[in-house]
This record gives sequence, structure tokens and C-alpha cells, in this order.
Amino acid sequence: MDTLRRRIAKALMRHVAQVMPSKQWGAAMRNEVEAIEDDRVALRWAMGCVVAGYSERMNAMLQTWYFRSALACLIVLLALREFFAPLLIFAYRMEYLGLAHFLGLRTAGDEYRRLIPVMDATPSWIIALWVAAGLLYLVALWQMLRRTGASYMLFFLGCGLDLAGVLAIRSIEASTGITVEPIPMVRLAGFVLTFSVGLVLWRMTWKRAPAAS
Amino acid sequence: MGRKTIHSKQTDRLLAVMLKEPLAWQHGYALMKQTGLQSGTLYPILLRLSDQGLLEAQWREADAPGKPPRHVYRLTTAGLAFAREESIPATRTSGALLEAKA
Repeated sequence: MDTLRRRIAKALMRHVAQVMPSKQWGAAMRNEVEAIEDDRVALRWAMGCVVAGYSERMNAMLQTWYFRSALACLIVLLALREFFAPLLIFAYRMEYLGLAHFLGLRTAGDEYRRLIPVMDATPSWIIALWVAAGLLYLVALWQMLRRTGASYMLFFLGCGLDLAGVLAIRSIEASTGITVEPIPMVRLAGFVLTFSVGLVLWRMTWKRAPAAS
Repeated sequence: MGRKTIHSKQTDRLLAVMLKEPLAWQHGYALMKQTGLQSGTLYPILLRLSDQGLLEAQWREADAPGKPPRHVYRLTTAGLAFAREESIPATRTSGALLEAKA
């Protein structure tokens, strides 16, 4: 009669065998637990295998075309988001009011004129930060698609520039009394999403990291 | 052009253990006991080495009756060359550091 620990270990190993992308390696892990006499060690072994199994599963998923396509679309959207404010400011300053109105409908409050004091006060270097961030996202995307280089580094650099731009604009918001994004959670969610994409890019490089030259 | 070599301390430890008996086939659990690595660390390394042709694996009947067959592992010729090239200098360096600390 198996002990509770042994039963849990066996159940975990059956799960690992299903989770592992390679059925042969899943079976190898599952069978190995049968050779471990000590139930406590067997359970610890099984828990380690669960971690390894999900890690391998995630590696396999990150390399699929549908995941990479979805991630690519997301990065394009993030880059477009970086270009949005510079484009709106450009449209307003160049008096392309039709375009400014069109873009303004996509801002909180649905009206670009609400943002005029902020746009007037925004210096060029902040605009440059956002544009650079957007470009870095696109370069990171290109690197990800070509499977070359450490795309996550460029992406995180873009993240840093984006964050610097947002922090800088907060002082302008404070001086003008106008909040560009009235719901703080929306801004926070944007950062969490962006940061998560960076982490995924970083994780994708793990599989590529070779053990040998 | 060769790719950049990335190998962790854990990989070095495993290679060093496998180099002790380069021709012997070893079970995962035996490797875990010798290296002190947990299964969650050991298997990804074994998988990675196998993917790169540095490790070979095969099924062996279990010693005890009624037990399922087990996977056994050993380094390939390329794996041995890699281990001798990469692991031993690293082991020597860490050994020298330990001696210096002592």
C-alpha cells in the first residue's frame, strides 16, 4: 500500500508525463520516481519534475508560430501607443485639426482640446523619448522575429524611456492641472503589460542560449 | 561563426560528475545524488545537452522486477570533448578559489 506522499508523487509524475512536450522525457521522469525508495525524496523529486515539465512546456509554447504572432501584434500595438502622443501633438501643432480630432476621440475624454495645455507645455525631448521607445520596441520585434540578439534588452530600454517620459509628463500634468489619463489603473495596467512582454522576450532567449559553442 | 558559450555552474557540476565515469550509463536519480541538483534543475540541463547532441539517452530494464524501464544517460563523444574543454577548467578555477579561501 502506497503512502500518501508516494501517491501524490505518482499523481504528479503522471501529470508531468502529460505536460512534457517530449513524451519520451516525460516517461523517463515518471519512471524514475518508481526507483526512488524514500517517499519524501520521491515527492521532492516529483515536485522538481513538475517545475521542469512546465518550464519545458513554456519553452515549447514560446517558440510556436501562433504565440510569436500574437506577441508580435502586441509589440506593434505597444509601439503604436508610444507614437500616439507624439502624433497627436504633431497634428495639433501643425494644425492638422482633422487628424487631431480623430486622435482626440481615442483619448480619455474623447476630445483633444482638453489636452491643449499639456500639449503646449510638452517639450520636444519628451516627445523624442516616446518616439525612441516606440522605435526600440519595433527593433526588438525585428530581432525577435529573426531570432537574433537579445531583443529583450532593447525592449526594456524602450520601457525605461517610456517610463521616463511618463514621469516627466506627470510634472506637466501637475502644473497644468490636467490629467491625461484620469484612471491611474489604466496607466499601471499598461506598464504591467509592457513589462510582461519584456519578461516573455527575456524568457524566450533561454531556449536559444546554447550550452555549447 | 560559433555561438556564444553559456554554461551554468549546475551544468559544470553535472559535466564534472559525468566525466568521472565517461563510459558509464547513469540514471537521473543517481546523477541527482552525485551532483546535489534537484530534478527541476537536472532535467532541463539533461534535455538541453541532449538537444545539442552532447548527451545520449537510452532505455534500460529496471533492476528490480515489476518496475518500469529507466532512462540512462552518458555523454557523447562531442559531449566528452565539450566537458573536458569547458567543465574541467571551471572546476579547477572553483577548486582554486576554494583553496585560496581556505
